Amino acid sequence: MSEERTIELLIGPQHPSSGHMRLYAEVDGDIVVRLRPNIGYVHRTVEKLAETKKYIQIIPLVERPSLADTANHNLGYVLALEKLLGIEAPPRAQYLRTILAEMNRIHSHFYGLGIHGIMLGSSTIFMWGFADREIMIEMAQRLTGARLTYSYIIPGGVRRDLPQGFEDEMEKALRYIERRLKDYGKLFLRNPVTRARLEGVGVLKKEDAIKLGIVGPNLRASGVPYDVRKVQPYCAYPELEFDVAVREEGDSMARVLVRVEEIRQSMRIIRQVLKQIPDGPILSENYLKMIPPKWKEFVEKKGRIKFPAIMANLRPPKGEAFSRVEAARGELVYYIVSDGSVTPYRLRMVTPSFRNVVLFEHLIQGCRVADIPAIYGSLDYFPPEADR
Amino acid sequence: MGLSSENKIEDIAKKIAQSLQGLPIEISTKDEIITVNVKHENLVEVAKKLRGVGFDHVKSVTATDFPEQKELEVIYHVSSFGDLDLAKVIVALKTRLSSDDPRISSLIEIWPSSKYSEREQHEMLGIVFEGHPELERLLLPEDYEGPPPLRKEFKVKTEGIQG
Amino acid sequence: MMNLMDLLKWILDLLFSPWLFVPLIFPGLITVFAILLFIIWFERKLAAKVQLRYGPLYVLKQLGGAIQLVADLIRYLFAEPIVPEQTDKLAFVLGPIFLFAASFIPCVIIPVSSSFYAIRSDIGLLISLGLLTFSPAIILIIGWASNNKFSLIGGLREGYLTMAYEIPLFISALSMAALYGTMDLIEMVETQSEGTWGIILNPLAALTFLILAFMSTSRFPFEIVEAESEIVMGPFTEYSGILYGLTMGASYVKFYVLCLLFSIMFLGGWQPVPSLLSWSPLFSRIILPGVILLLKSLVIMIFGVFLRSVYPRYRIDQALKIGWHMILPLSIGSVFLSLGLILLGVVP
Repeated sequence: MSEERTIELLIGPQHPSSGHMRLYAEVDGDIVVRLRPNIGYVHRTVEKLAETKKYIQIIPLVERPSLADTANHNLGYVLALEKLLGIEAPPRAQYLRTILAEMNRIHSHFYGLGIHGIMLGSSTIFMWGFADREIMIEMAQRLTGARLTYSYIIPGGVRRDLPQGFEDEMEKALRYIERRLKDYGKLFLRNPVTRARLEGVGVLKKEDAIKLGIVGPNLRASGVPYDVRKVQPYCAYPELEFDVAVREEGDSMARVLVRVEEIRQSMRIIRQVLKQIPDGPILSENYLKMIPPKWKEFVEKKGRIKFPAIMANLRPPKGEAFSRVEAARGELVYYIVSDGSVTPYRLRMVTPSFRNVVLFEHLIQGCRVADIPAIYGSLDYFPPEADR
Repeated sequence: MGLSSENKIEDIAKKIAQSLQGLPIEISTKDEIITVNVKHENLVEVAKKLRGVGFDHVKSVTATDFPEQKELEVIYHVSSFGDLDLAKVIVALKTRLSSDDPRISSLIEIWPSSKYSEREQHEMLGIVFEGHPELERLLLPEDYEGPPPLRKEFKVKTEGIQG
Repeated sequence: MMNLMDLLKWILDLLFSPWLFVPLIFPGLITVFAILLFIIWFERKLAAKVQLRYGPLYVLKQLGGAIQLVADLIRYLFAEPIVPEQTDKLAFVLGPIFLFAASFIPCVIIPVSSSFYAIRSDIGLLISLGLLTFSPAIILIIGWASNNKFSLIGGLREGYLTMAYEIPLFISALSMAALYGTMDLIEMVETQSEGTWGIILNPLAALTFLILAFMSTSRFPFEIVEAESEIVMGPFTEYSGILYGLTMGASYVKFYVLCLLFSIMFLGGWQPVPSLLSWSPLFSRIILPGVILLLKSLVIMIFGVFLRSVYPRYRIDQALKIGWHMILPLSIGSVFLSLGLILLGVVP
């Protein structure tokens, strides 16, 4: 017989658990001997489109790639833009940005947990994850007026102030999530079948994680305590107390547990933010004074920003700016080059999922066919975010 | 940012300058970004030295087209996961090359984390990273023809409704 | 007038003659379909309850969407069963039909009560279990005939799993046969009615038999052959329309037969029949025992389908390990338990 022992499996792009991507897998019996990710199915040319759009128009553009995590994408871009413009948001706006970022983190982690559940065959966790993510969507809607794509964070501040009674409702929501997390522990995290499927599967060693430049919970599950919120704090994070969730095992279970712990830490942050949030304007004084007096009254009474005319044609001085934020799936990097015109000369956006793509070829080799979705889900990889 | 962290950044910048002594480079510091300008012939050497200092991964590889100078600028944003003090700074390793036949040696041997970013810049700006094991299409469709899309000669067709 | 009464009586007699009643009504075809419609609806409803949603609702809203499955069945019937170009067409089309038949045929061995059965045999248990072993072979053929890599993998998974569950399944069934001193299903029930139920006498055999029944019919956590998120329904990837409906139904039918056998072996079958309405032989001989047997099996089935909302699925190697390293020793242990019980004189 010939020496051909392997068959080639094409997993995706039309496969229940592939997402918008394709995995070329070479399978020998039940063992995957080689796996290559083939991405780009949902590439939206964000970087090129940004060169044709004005600075303020880019906010919705950079949000779109990551539906579960729009606030962090918005925040990273605005931080880079503010560095170019040389302005800073007032303290109250910084706290409001933080709260939305953390709400998105909870939302995104529930989303990831749900997807991972159905990849392992647990339809209950899928439904629970998607139901409980709704809590944070609803709260975000109270705050920003939108469910997913908020465009809430603008240069110099935020669009809206806290609505009335937000603190009480948020406390209720957080209590509910705390209760639910106990159920998740009982049904999923301590389930013997889940543990058999995840523990020791897809182990990412610390050296490899560093070498491959992995980010986010996947990095922290391998024992690297790198979190931009601690390393280079932005917004209100310097004034808030929270722990970085780190685990040493580096396997799929550790990645899931790090995310669950991050949900707890995010709730801790939200509680602190609501307690400590200072009074004051929600837009930088530079822009606030440009709002016509007629609208200014409205802004002060309703807590909603009317964009001053200058926003439409922001012209940052020539230069470049680099920003990094800790998005839900990991470190998100923006790099903007400005030539002094109303559109950026170059916008570079490196999303956490894009930096984690390399894990597919690294982790899945030598695993079993059934491990492909188990590891995929544990990475919380989101194809649109990677493809941009 | 407090005074102490600024001092730290200066220290790190000094450390980098020390380790790169004798090489034709320019170093400048702005906020937490330390920019190192090198000629592309020296890129690998400088990268190796930076790796030795403790910068262990690449955050992004960014190339920008400057048609007036007929040049492409390639920036490696590198930082550290292993040393959380070094993680506070980001080194922007900058180099320029001619945009007619842009060739540069790949840094994948030094920083494996640059693999997919280099591949992306290859298809988006037509830079050939010599020594890269799989320099293939990544995000673009397989049947795409035309100039590399992030070159300025590629114009996005708009509907002309924006002011 | 007399003629009509005669005709009616003739029809009734025909209907209640065991060789027609058993394959056609209970436990046969009509009950099988009723059970299919009920259990799949109930499975979805139960999962929905756990998962904070409604489940089937809009088809007959008053009963919580109870006839949703009728609507589904109609849809399956009228959907075009696509036969892809590259398949082995004969095997591809006949596969699901034979699969359903092979899962269904063991029904005829199941007695309804001590005096009402279609076939009575000294080796009734062996015949019914033996007939059940046909379906894995057909699944293998289906996986091969589909000419799809996922189907092939799914078929092979079924092949591997069959080895792991079939042997201990027979061993634990035979341990009960040894305990009762017979392989005749009716005698098994009668032995239990004199003493205690099999599940109390030999819980080890009951446990292993139940787990293996789940394993052999792709219930969670052993839903490995289909595994939607890994190999896209495995052997059944290419099927559509009523052919897909048959493949899906077949595993439920097999599960139903195994649950009937479980009730007969471990739960005292149709015993105890209440003496209610004993003047009517129709009731005391056929309907009451039948209903009792059906209810007992139904409880087991409901437990089986409920596991869907609790467990993810095992990997194939883990399931094989459970089969060979855990269940096989346990089932051999159950044989020794039976022998011990006989030596101690617990059973006559």
